[in-house]
Amino acid sequence: MNNPLVLEIVVVVLGLGLLLLDLWLPVERRRTLGYAAAGVLLLLLLGSCLAAVPETTHAFGKMYVQDTLAVFFKRLFLFSGVVVLVMAVEFFDKLQAGLSEFFALVQFALAGMLFAASTNDFALLFVAVELITVTFYVLTSFQRNRALSLEAGVKYLILGALSSAFMVFGIALIYGTTAKLNFGEIAVVAPQFVTNKIFLIGLLLVIVGLGFKIAAFPFQMWAPDVYQGSPTPVTAFLAVGSKAAGFVLLLRVLFGAAPQITAHWPTLLMVLAGVTILYGNLCALPQRNLKRLLGYSSISNAGYLLLGVAALSAAGQSALLYYLAGYVFTVLAAFLVLTLVLRQVEGEDITALAGLSQRSPMLAAMLTLAMVSLAGVPPLAGFFGKFLLLKSVVEQASGNACYYWLLGAAVLGVVISLYYYFGVIQAIYWSKDVTDLSPIAISTPMRLCLWACAAGMLFLGLFPGWVVNFATAAVRALR
Amino acid sequence: MQALHAIPWIVLFLPLFAAAGIALFTLKDRELSAKVSIGAVVIGFILTVIFIAASGWEPQRRELIVTWLEVGDLQVDFGLRLDALSLMMLLIVTGVGGAIHVYSYGYMHEDRSVARYFASLSLFTFSMLGIVLSNNLLQMFIFWELVGVSSYLLIGFWYEKPSAADACKKAFLTNRLGDFGFMLGILTVWSLLGSLNFSVLQDELFKNPAALGACATAAGLLIFCGAMGKSAQFPLHVWLPDAMEGPTPVSALIHAATMVAAGVYMLCRVFFLLSVPGSHALEVIGWIGGFTALLAALMAVQQNDIKRILAYSTLSQLGYMVLAVGVHAPTAAMFHLTTHAFFKAMLFLGAGSVIHALHHEQDIWQMGGLKKKLPVTHWTFLVGTLALCGVPPFSGFFSKDAILAAAVEHSVGLFVLAVAVSGLTTFYMFRLYYVAFLGGARTDAASHAHESPPVMVWPLRVLAVPSALAGFWGIEALFSGALGDGHGVQNLPFLEQLFAPINHAPLAALGGLIAVVFGFAFAREFYQNAALDPLPQRLGALARGMKNRFYFDEIYDFLIALTQEALARFAQFVDRWIIAGLLVRGAHGTTELFGRALRLVQTGNLQTYTFLFVLGVALLLIFVIGNGH
Repeated sequence: MNNPLVLEIVVVVLGLGLLLLDLWLPVERRRTLGYAAAGVLLLLLLGSCLAAVPETTHAFGKMYVQDTLAVFFKRLFLFSGVVVLVMAVEFFDKLQAGLSEFFALVQFALAGMLFAASTNDFALLFVAVELITVTFYVLTSFQRNRALSLEAGVKYLILGALSSAFMVFGIALIYGTTAKLNFGEIAVVAPQFVTNKIFLIGLLLVIVGLGFKIAAFPFQMWAPDVYQGSPTPVTAFLAVGSKAAGFVLLLRVLFGAAPQITAHWPTLLMVLAGVTILYGNLCALPQRNLKRLLGYSSISNAGYLLLGVAALSAAGQSALLYYLAGYVFTVLAAFLVLTLVLRQVEGEDITALAGLSQRSPMLAAMLTLAMVSLAGVPPLAGFFGKFLLLKSVVEQASGNACYYWLLGAAVLGVVISLYYYFGVIQAIYWSKDVTDLSPIAISTPMRLCLWACAAGMLFLGLFPGWVVNFATAAVRALR
Repeated sequence: MQALHAIPWIVLFLPLFAAAGIALFTLKDRELSAKVSIGAVVIGFILTVIFIAASGWEPQRRELIVTWLEVGDLQVDFGLRLDALSLMMLLIVTGVGGAIHVYSYGYMHEDRSVARYFASLSLFTFSMLGIVLSNNLLQMFIFWELVGVSSYLLIGFWYEKPSAADACKKAFLTNRLGDFGFMLGILTVWSLLGSLNFSVLQDELFKNPAALGACATAAGLLIFCGAMGKSAQFPLHVWLPDAMEGPTPVSALIHAATMVAAGVYMLCRVFFLLSVPGSHALEVIGWIGGFTALLAALMAVQQNDIKRILAYSTLSQLGYMVLAVGVHAPTAAMFHLTTHAFFKAMLFLGAGSVIHALHHEQDIWQMGGLKKKLPVTHWTFLVGTLALCGVPPFSGFFSKDAILAAAVEHSVGLFVLAVAVSGLTTFYMFRLYYVAFLGGARTDAASHAHESPPVMVWPLRVLAVPSALAGFWGIEALFSGALGDGHGVQNLPFLEQLFAPINHAPLAALGGLIAVVFGFAFAREFYQNAALDPLPQRLGALARGMKNRFYFDEIYDFLIALTQEALARFAQFVDRWIIAGLLVRGAHGTTELFGRALRLVQTGNLQTYTFLFVLGVALLLIFVIGNGH
């Protein structure tokens, strides 16, 4: 594990290997490929967790950096990779063809995310983002005979291309004014460009591109449609991996490459965070489609995460990391349950959950746990994460009263969100007309993933100390 | 020593484990359930005796504390208080309770839900032990409520009978009313003194008696509200007679040894708080106790149900104990509580034996001549009656005399009241005795009655011993030491002890004895060989009033209809139209509207999305660049 790039190399080789193995394996045994890939990722995750966090190292002429922040995110990416692969195997029946390609594409997207975690240069940033996004163009439209899936793919492609165009234009402007691409080098010269409008436009356009990835207002339009149309495992990966990758890049650009300029933008970041929270939550209210509901929920969660950015403090950034960790466990748990429940039903309406408490008490309990955690109820991860984020916002309020408005918007958002999260719980336990009472079979890998997610939610909520310390150490790498 | 300190914990938690074990595992097995429950309380009794033998009545470590939960700066302790007061109560609850458990085994044998019965009984015992052992008010309050819940389960054990279902509801609600005051009192004490631990509070008030300030009376009376509910003092006395709907052993347990005693015990536990200078709480408490005693004694005179007579007698005796607290004599109150626990438990169990023998006949005018048919029940019942009336040398004489002596010192009015109640007590108890046990059998059932099985008779015999002799065991001196009052009571040899009351306070002793003689004479005059009750004719309206409990229930019903129902209707109006309608629906409607409006933006049209995306970029650039950056 001495080479900092070992994770990325293994994941890419694994992806290529899956494609090769596909040539020799008979169709009916391709399921095992998914489990094997998940197993390898799990080993990587365990290896990464057991090894000590390495000293900060660089590669590719400082384009690539391996520090605590990168390790923090890479562990989250590996965990979501494992769960998404298991989910994909379960989803196999709905994908008529190309299962092995699907597994391989997940590996490539994962590799992009791993690179994103270690990005220290605008060139690598663009490559990582494109690796993720282009892979997702294919993944979102993977159910080729389903119009909704194709539509989702096309929307994601057009809007993604648009945002990439803005971003690469922004990078060009930055390079044009500073003649540098490396974050560290730009940070040194950035104070000279505080009033340089070309440079500022360049930076803003990069933020536009990353805002698209994390689905922040006003670049959130694609999220509900694409979440709804994509195959469920892809939606989960979008909601967790792609969003987390956007956030790590945002942190690196805002606080690693141009901290002096970011310090002038509290109002901008506050408006983005506040409006994103309210938009996501308000739109989720009348929503009946489960995946669309989670799409809006993911917008509002991007808003909460932006609170940590808007706080412009180390406390805010470490709160962001903590919240993101809790969010990964919670959202994966929700999608695991949805994968199982929506397998037999055609629509994705909330009524599909009716009678779940009798069909599978375990799934009902897990989804309830996830909803309760998303709603921010103690003692689950969501509560402590929101608490830390709001605390970091309040700490800034003494210097800038606008933070109180942000706090108000965030709290209002939490209150609104209770309504639709508990609406899901109500559908699980108190639905009036229950037609289908057939028990739901849960395969062992799925069961293990569910338990892991539940353990994560509870562990983070009950014993937050360990992850908070890790997040604080990771944030220190930005300085 | 470490093992010794484990004993109180074991005694406390054994019944809880028994209750949980029965509820979870042995609900199907009647025999095993009964044995587990009986075993828990009997082992508890034995362990208590061992503990007292080993560490004495005043252990060196007065409190055993473990930390229950710790969140930041907040630390919540769970502690046991060990002194003569709590250890004596521990003995009573496990001892008398144990006898009642054993008796229940015989009495409830035919019932189909024996296991449920014993599970509730064990839960009740656990809660009661919790009250006794608590070292702070909050913990006591928690167990206080648990007693409320478990008594609800026991009184309503035969829930299929509407009267039992009503009775348990009534008991619970009435108690809750008192508990509300209790809770306010606890909060007052906490806000003023900053602690709820008994010894900390006592030290605090010893150092600074004026710490409670102007709230002293209010705090005392609010705490007394709790006792008013549990110990059934006027005006919250109405639940106790109805609670006789539970099985008879439950009546014995709840109304003799445990639940109703909790109120008096609590008053003695916080006596230092009630008696701070400047507080008038004790005067009020004394008069409420005296009034309850008189009222209940009058009601008892015209009851015909054997259990109801005993129930009103319990009320009356509880009034006595509260009166004792009111005249600054907690020692006398605890002493009477102890002797009363023995003889009243025995009387209830005796009544149960009679009811059992007569196939659930409870009207004393359907009995008669039971002296020969139920010999053991008869003599134990007689011992209980004599003790209750306060005939020397039975235990009740000494404890009642202690109360009368304290009353003489503090208030002539209360003394006269107490003597009158003593006379009435003798009258109604011998009325019961003459009608039920002497004379000829009035029904077939009474003439064919048989003595109860040994498992029911032996507890009677066992309880008869302390009922008769507890006055000579130095119980008063023990409490006196623990509570620090009682006029230097000492433990005396037998004969000296017998005449001590007369030497010590002749007026009180003579007053009490004369009242007993008068009461007995009247009862003999009216009820020896009586076929019908002569009193209704002689007293007219008064007798009707007594019989109908002075219409308290009717008055309460009327008042409840007037106040509570109106309040409930108003609250419902506010809830339905203002809170649910205007606030909730209004807020919900507005947000929902926003949500639906925003959804219109989400058309699904790619061109629109692209346009909005670019618009967003433009806004962002204008926002930052246009701001003069």
